[in-house]
Amino acid sequence: MAEIETFYEVMRRQGITRRSFMKYCSLTASALGLGPAFVPKIAHAMETKPRTPVIWVNGLECTCCSESFIRGAHPLAKDVVLSMISLDYSHTLMAAAGHAAEAALEETIQKYKGNYILAVEGNPPLNEDGMFCIVGGKPFVEQLRHAAKDAKAIISWGACASYGCVQAAAPNPTRATPVHKVITDKPIIKVPGCPPIAEVMTGVITYMLTFDRLPELDRQGRPAMFYSQRIHDKCYRRPHFDAGQFVEQWDDEYARKGYCLYKMGCKGPTTYNACSTVRWNEGVSFPIQSGHGCIGCSEDGFWDQGGFYDRLTTIKQFGVEATADQMGFAAAGVVGAGIAAHVAASALKRAQKKTQDKEEV
Amino acid sequence: MTGTRLIVGPFNRVEGDLEVHLDVADGAVRSARVNAPLYRGFERMLLGRPPSDALTLTPRICGICSISQSAAAARALAAAGGHVPAPQGERVAALIHAIENVSDHLTHFTLFFMPDFARSCYAGRSWHARAVDRFAAMEGAAARQAIEARAALMHILGLMAGKWPHTLAIQPGGVTRAPGPRDKVRIAASLAAFRRYLEDVVFGGPLEAFAALSTREALMDWETGDAGLFLRIAADLDLDALGRGEGRYLSFGAYPLAGGHAFAPGLWRCGARYPLDLSGLVEDVSHAWMLGGPAHPGEGQTLPDEDMREAAYSWCKAPRLNGESYETGALARQVIDGHPLARDLAGGGVLARVAGRLLELARTQGLMEDLSRGIEPAARFMDPAPEVREGAGAGLVEAARGALGHWLRVEKGRIAGYQIVAPTTWNFSPRDAAGQPGPLEAALVGAPVAQGDETPVTVQHIVRSFDPCMVCTVH
Repeated sequence: MAEIETFYEVMRRQGITRRSFMKYCSLTASALGLGPAFVPKIAHAMETKPRTPVIWVNGLECTCCSESFIRGAHPLAKDVVLSMISLDYSHTLMAAAGHAAEAALEETIQKYKGNYILAVEGNPPLNEDGMFCIVGGKPFVEQLRHAAKDAKAIISWGACASYGCVQAAAPNPTRATPVHKVITDKPIIKVPGCPPIAEVMTGVITYMLTFDRLPELDRQGRPAMFYSQRIHDKCYRRPHFDAGQFVEQWDDEYARKGYCLYKMGCKGPTTYNACSTVRWNEGVSFPIQSGHGCIGCSEDGFWDQGGFYDRLTTIKQFGVEATADQMGFAAAGVVGAGIAAHVAASALKRAQKKTQDKEEV
Repeated sequence: MTGTRLIVGPFNRVEGDLEVHLDVADGAVRSARVNAPLYRGFERMLLGRPPSDALTLTPRICGICSISQSAAAARALAAAGGHVPAPQGERVAALIHAIENVSDHLTHFTLFFMPDFARSCYAGRSWHARAVDRFAAMEGAAARQAIEARAALMHILGLMAGKWPHTLAIQPGGVTRAPGPRDKVRIAASLAAFRRYLEDVVFGGPLEAFAALSTREALMDWETGDAGLFLRIAADLDLDALGRGEGRYLSFGAYPLAGGHAFAPGLWRCGARYPLDLSGLVEDVSHAWMLGGPAHPGEGQTLPDEDMREAAYSWCKAPRLNGESYETGALARQVIDGHPLARDLAGGGVLARVAGRLLELARTQGLMEDLSRGIEPAARFMDPAPEVREGAGAGLVEAARGALGHWLRVEKGRIAGYQIVAPTTWNFSPRDAAGQPGPLEAALVGAPVAQGDETPVTVQHIVRSFDPCMVCTVH
């Protein structure tokens, strides 16, 4: 196989200075929750390791993942990551078109056989032999299988690739199917969210490129460093939840005071993602901060859980039917009941506290 | 030269998938067929759900113009319930919608449209070196500047809408976030920074000076900024003559506010403006892999033809108004709004569409500044709308790429009908029953194609001049 240049060489070629490079290494270390001791390790890895080629393909999707990705965190990190992965094949951003583009994909696959990362945005629809999503005259599912065959690992970007997302919503007209149900013989890392947070995307890809291995994954195949806590756990409105202070109606007095959105249907208590810590649009805000509850877009099946504005405890499916999914629903039911208990307990505590305060007076 | 048949696609640097079939004879396109090869079935999934679910599901049709979809869904819900949003909520919704639209215009110009002029086939041209320097795909200096400026502008979306793409803040009654005095200052600061970027980089001069241009000649004399580079290229390659439209334009009116639309709604045909009347609107399915007959979207259905019958060639339906196709987008909006430069460019090709977008970019900056100045933190930003039980209504908005409509019918508290007609559905529609081609298909006829060229650059310019969004087209 041809000699592949190192990350550092690629960055230098793209005009990134040594100083910026070192800054980037420390940013990465902190973004990934690693100590300062890791900075020289990251720098060393990037100076000596050959660059990992990335092929980025698009199936049934809305391009929101790409949109999120190109708005990545620190402008520097974004520059570096973009130049680093060089997106050997990216449908949305590359220069080549038509047959030239198809040729570029093929060439990249051949040149870096067994060595590239396949990033998948969107998913393949399987109904009608895949005819609902045609790329280059062939069903996307064929392109996906072909590109996956020689990939080292696969990143499933977003809720589409990870779980199916809204196009898989009942009745799932095209039988949109998540990547791991089509490709079963490759390591797959799921980065769910609709879209995923830009910093999470760059963080995951940087980790893989730098350390040449998958980050630690949870049981669902998500990187633990970004998906191990619920939105609720680090939500800045959490004290209001604990105090039993809730928004009752859009833009009411309590909304202006920033009370908890649980009663407006917020799914923060059952959603694992980094929104309440990393936040969105370069750390400016996140949905709850803008006064709207979380819809749980990084959770499997978020699109078919009853109305998006239903309170968690009133999710209609609970216990209604005995199906193959009964176990899953039952588990979700426990979470719902847990929350109800949690609210009650919090309010109770508050009441007790009040009584105690009175007694002390 | 004998006739040849070309399939151009997959198209990169457009949102979603697209294929164009061309019949070429004597060095030019004789006829074109546009195929949208991606279908997801949103209109079918919405059936039977609570009406408010449309606010979460429809934005996910498109990661590029999710706010437009969300605004249309909110308007449709409000119309179906006979509800009027709080005026200040409407203002903030208009502001965040405008931010998305200008971001789209900027992305289109910098990342999708201009990189084609850096291609090696133009190596001999006097402007080529500068085009490569500024716009080479993924490497040109302009892309980085634009991505940065756009991300900074979108801080306002973070602030007011929580996240972008797929914002949840816009509701039938207004917006969920009431901006405080501090937010107002931050919004103003972000807008000021974006104005600096536009004036330094994109236009190389005051935005008001560009917006004051009133003739094609005056436009072609604009020399500064990336806009100046584009105009130089356009003059050299005669992009005005390339991909000319039929001069019929449609706009639903952009940014509905208590005092009327910021950019007026209407129709433009045969050189004159007419009021918008959608009673004669039908979606024709004669050349789409869809079942059923032509229908107004208020009554229409989406039933994919799984046999993909031979007579059809796209998943896209063909919207027609009184039997005619209409072009929609920034140029259409500006022509209908009555801007003298746009009126002078009406009926034009690649130059007119791209200049229309630049003109709107310059004009919208001022509009966004006005909207932000008029925010009154003490006012109400939401007049909560009760969930609709029975009713029907249309949500008509203007996305960056043109007229977007959602037609909603609610029965017994559930969605009984939901039809979406997106801008690119108009622009990239297939033929109708009368054999009339869609606007892009018509614009491609006559485009020069060099012998042996399998991805003709002229075709690329024309297709991209419409700023297609294929994920919206068929949804």
